[in-house]
Amino acid sequence: MSWLFVLLQQLKQFVLPLIVLLVFGRGDRNELWPLIGVGVLVVLSLWQYFTYRYGVAGDRLVIRSGLFERSLRVIPFARIHNVALQQSALHRVFGVAEVRLESAGGSKPEAQMRVLKLDDALALEALVRHRGATPTTAAGEPEATTLLALSFGEVVRLGLVSNRGLVVVAAAFAAIVQISQRAVLDTFRSIGKWLFGFVGEHHFGVLQYVVSALALVLFAIVVLRGFSILLALLQYHGFRLSEIGRRLTVERGLLARWRTSASWRRIQAWTLREGTLHRLLKRRSLDVDTAVAEEHQQQRALRELAPIATPAACDALIEHLLPRAGWSRLDWRALPASNWWRLVVPAVPVVAAIAVGASWRFGAWGLLVLAWLPWAAFVAHRRAQRMAYAANAEVIAVREGWWTRHWRFAELDKLQALQLTRSPLDRRCGTATLHLDTAGSSALSPPLRVRFLPHDEALALYASLSRTLARRPLRW
Amino acid sequence: MADHDEAAAAAAPPADWHRLPDRARLPSMLTPMLPFAIPGMAGGFVLAGVFGLWFAPPVLALVGLAIGAWVGLKHHRNTFWRLDADGLAVRRGRLWQRETRVPATRVQHLDLKRGPLQRQRRLATLIVHTAGTRHSAVTVPHLDVDDAERLRDLLARPVEANDADDDA
Repeated sequence: MSWLFVLLQQLKQFVLPLIVLLVFGRGDRNELWPLIGVGVLVVLSLWQYFTYRYGVAGDRLVIRSGLFERSLRVIPFARIHNVALQQSALHRVFGVAEVRLESAGGSKPEAQMRVLKLDDALALEALVRHRGATPTTAAGEPEATTLLALSFGEVVRLGLVSNRGLVVVAAAFAAIVQISQRAVLDTFRSIGKWLFGFVGEHHFGVLQYVVSALALVLFAIVVLRGFSILLALLQYHGFRLSEIGRRLTVERGLLARWRTSASWRRIQAWTLREGTLHRLLKRRSLDVDTAVAEEHQQQRALRELAPIATPAACDALIEHLLPRAGWSRLDWRALPASNWWRLVVPAVPVVAAIAVGASWRFGAWGLLVLAWLPWAAFVAHRRAQRMAYAANAEVIAVREGWWTRHWRFAELDKLQALQLTRSPLDRRCGTATLHLDTAGSSALSPPLRVRFLPHDEALALYASLSRTLARRPLRW
Repeated sequence: MADHDEAAAAAAPPADWHRLPDRARLPSMLTPMLPFAIPGMAGGFVLAGVFGLWFAPPVLALVGLAIGAWVGLKHHRNTFWRLDADGLAVRRGRLWQRETRVPATRVQHLDLKRGPLQRQRRLATLIVHTAGTRHSAVTVPHLDVDDAERLRDLLARPVEANDADDDA
């Protein structure tokens, strides 16, 4: 039966072009020629699937594939960083799963089993966990302990604080534009006509205009948040972070289920975030970086330890996973707040340009844009007052932000390279910036860097860190 | 500009920092010349198209070449490297200073590149790869060949010692 799955999965890639071809083709017979190409591709991929075999030899996995061109790949279990089980709704109906085994680096998973019975998939995961020694140590299988589970209410909160709804709207918009640009324009025009016709008929006063505009905005926000909550429910329903031995496993998803597991030692850097809405709901989120290939396929890597949780729960999680770091007893050192004005500097030319443009268009009213600068200065001041860093024998941590705050930290063992930079402004203010590089950090996560560090302090930290790194072997 | 100060530039390197050899000056100057000349030429073509200034493309390209050469000269003068017990450090820039340090234990693999001009002048470019994200490749351009090979061998040693298999 599994061949059906492979066929479906392969066809999925071709379905869209085929439909486009059939619907938008001009009914010419020649349009059907590509079908032959598709058929050949499907046969080839089926071939590929049926020649894919895996086996275990001691502490390593052996994968044989190909019939004409045989390839044999050997992966030591110790080198597998991440095991990802993915089940779409269809997979779940038939009780099968797709498995990917990933090591650090590279652009493709080390091994990919398209269709595997769920039992086999879990057994494979256990094999990786025990590094191939299952039969003898099966009796000593440690129990899974749940570190964090999200209830329905928490998932709804997650939807509230996230902006995933925007993604849905943008995707829908893009899809509609793809299908027909006329439809979009017509819709907008008719909505506009309806709105303005409505307004024109009733001769509202200023108050009514304001109220209706506010209602419109409110409606848009409610719709967006509704989408966000819906998406959060689809992706995070039944979220459970558990620990089996030394590996962390995350399970989540309503229709499609994901199950990712990685050793907690593979965690490279940590990000704790708290946005404005988070603060309103008294929640935070905890993300980690793992050095796994394919950064754009984020759902497969172990990334979110706590999509949303109370600050206390986040701290407890960090304390549990980094017991030696002493997260709650860190000695935070403030950075000199006298440099707050440097946070405004990047905004000045932008605001100036917008003000010039606006005053050219609207006259003196355009200069109102400049009112942004005092606000920016205020925000910068608050931000500068909150900036701090902490370093001890195990971790280095940076704290930044005021409206939206984040804490970023990493174990010293996971640091890869150091960079000390000084811009002309830095030299004038007697400061420096220390950048710390870790593996697997995504473009979205904030950088691990200490800004506005007094120069002598920066030099001392830089020297002591480089000495520490040189003494400790890399463990990632 | 402040960095025209020859005396200050000469005084910058402390004793154990090494500068690039003098024969690396020409390759260093050539490297940024094209990246500056091409935008110059493109701008020139725009000017030629809009205002009919037929001489703009070659003139601006030449200006770009000159700026590139000047930048390259600055790079050459303000690049220093140093190998100590902790690892490799590279210091670059004068107006915007940056010092990158790769501890010897963090080196993943090393590349040594030699272009035709570099071969003729006994130079080599050393690229140190780490597992990091933003500084995953630290480049030391136009080193003396012997220095580069020595650096490569010294930095490669901890990689081998380090690679005893660890747990998952």
